[in-house]
Amino acid sequence: MKVFVLAGDEVLRLMTTRRGLLSIAGFVLIWAAVLIYFIMPAASFYRNASESGMLELLFPNFQFFYADLWPTPELTIFWIVSLYILPLLAITTAADQTASDRSRGTLRYLVLRCSRLEIYFGRYLGQVVVLLSVTLVTLGSVLAIVAVNSTEQLAPAIARAPVIVVNMMLVLAPYIALMALVSVLARTPRQATLFAVILWISVSIVISYVRSAYPELSVLDWVLPGSQVGQLRALSDWQMLKFAPIPLVHTAVLLSIGAFFMWRRDL
Amino acid sequence: MNIIECQSVSKHYGNTHALESLDLALSAGEPIALIGPNGAGKTTLLSILCGFIRPSAGEVTILGHAAGSKGLSGKLAALPQDALLDPRLSVGRQLRFFARLQGLGRRAAAIEVVRVLETVDLASSQSTRPTDLSHGMRKRIAIAQALIGSPELVLLDEPTAGIDPPNAKMIRDLVREQSANTTFIVSSHNLDELERLCQSVIYLENGKLISFGPVSSDDEAHNVLTLRAPGLDSDQFMMLCDQIPHVSGVSMTAQGDFLIQSDNEMQASIGIMQLLADRGWRYRQLSRGKTLEERLYGNG
Repeated sequence: MKVFVLAGDEVLRLMTTRRGLLSIAGFVLIWAAVLIYFIMPAASFYRNASESGMLELLFPNFQFFYADLWPTPELTIFWIVSLYILPLLAITTAADQTASDRSRGTLRYLVLRCSRLEIYFGRYLGQVVVLLSVTLVTLGSVLAIVAVNSTEQLAPAIARAPVIVVNMMLVLAPYIALMALVSVLARTPRQATLFAVILWISVSIVISYVRSAYPELSVLDWVLPGSQVGQLRALSDWQMLKFAPIPLVHTAVLLSIGAFFMWRRDL
Repeated sequence: MNIIECQSVSKHYGNTHALESLDLALSAGEPIALIGPNGAGKTTLLSILCGFIRPSAGEVTILGHAAGSKGLSGKLAALPQDALLDPRLSVGRQLRFFARLQGLGRRAAAIEVVRVLETVDLASSQSTRPTDLSHGMRKRIAIAQALIGSPELVLLDEPTAGIDPPNAKMIRDLVREQSANTTFIVSSHNLDELERLCQSVIYLENGKLISFGPVSSDDEAHNVLTLRAPGLDSDQFMMLCDQIPHVSGVSMTAQGDFLIQSDNEMQASIGIMQLLADRGWRYRQLSRGKTLEERLYGNG
């Protein structure tokens, strides 16, 4: 299957090019900072405050920490932080799925050997694998901290890992699809990111205008990718999958639009 | 069987007609030249054949498949104009990736890449990045990618444009060597090169097919000789040549190029050679028929 060959190449491209390695190094540093300066102290504060009863005193309604949802505070903080950080990473790493190859003409060499849709979906799949690896690595780093801080909680934490991975991929899939779409329309990864931001802001403005004019159209609240994230923050088990149709529909719609442009555009 | 069939193919960009109702049927065999002035539609035609762009109207069939279809993978290859390899990745890695997309396994892809790089005499460039190669070498690498899997049809868009004579010669030799098993269509502005390389020529102008036929026309060859002799005293040569038996007229087409009309080309050739020898005039070439340039753009 050529889609898998293309996906494999996309992953290799990240790991064997200077730009790819710099991106990985940059993310490792940022994640290390998030881990050391945010997740670890926050989890430590949470654990101490919770044990001393301070947490209930400071945050009586527990809206932020969702105390009982995850087996350890590290996972609680990780889940909330990664819900916002990993989509940002997806937007930056997945911006160049086809943009520079098109402007350079490299896409022509590929089109002689496989269909445009194979290239499009192969590159998308490659980015999904990249972000799945990122999710696994970041989750692994948090589990390592759990192993050090509270060994007895490691087993229940590992048991919840599949919930995090599956749901995080559901969160990320539409963002990667959005970048696949804008990458088809852009000439550079930077332009693709710009297009994504413009598209995002424009759709947000239109939705908020239509919503104010027609308050009964509450379905519009679910139009933008990530619109289910607020609800996911308050959940921690497979029950999160009840929101899965939202990102799946987002992904299908964005991928379909991108595939149409990919199929139609001159190279 | 025709390798390429175009039926009423048109391509419009707004009000600009890049190609207009082009009908063409090409058979496999010797290299075919694709020529025409800038803006004639050569690159547009090649891009449609490769599936890079879609025609506004008409149908294109290549080796029995629609242009741009998956069935052409490994059968049709091309050297697209101005297309570059990824500057961040080594030549060998990219070619192996292309080979794998053509259905070869990892090992077979590695062997095939060595083969095509050896064909273009760049076997040592496997681990080099494209940006570290000269323009001519990059062109040869691009030709190497077109030879992966020994395709039946290769389209070369300006393969020798902007490269030095040794590299250009190497590319011409390569096309000649490979043309036993592969049909090449070569687009170029270098008519001398195409005349030496190709047996038939497609001539486009303003998006229309003006002519398609053999590079040298036998009808004309019987009546016309072309002498290439730069540095000759042209007035004196033309006056003396006109007096040779069986020569019915002499004209100068370009500096050093003479078009000689005759009623018996063999006898006229002997007379011209005798004249050149008697006068001690040096010449470069005496050939039957008009040059491709003269046939296409000459006044007569």
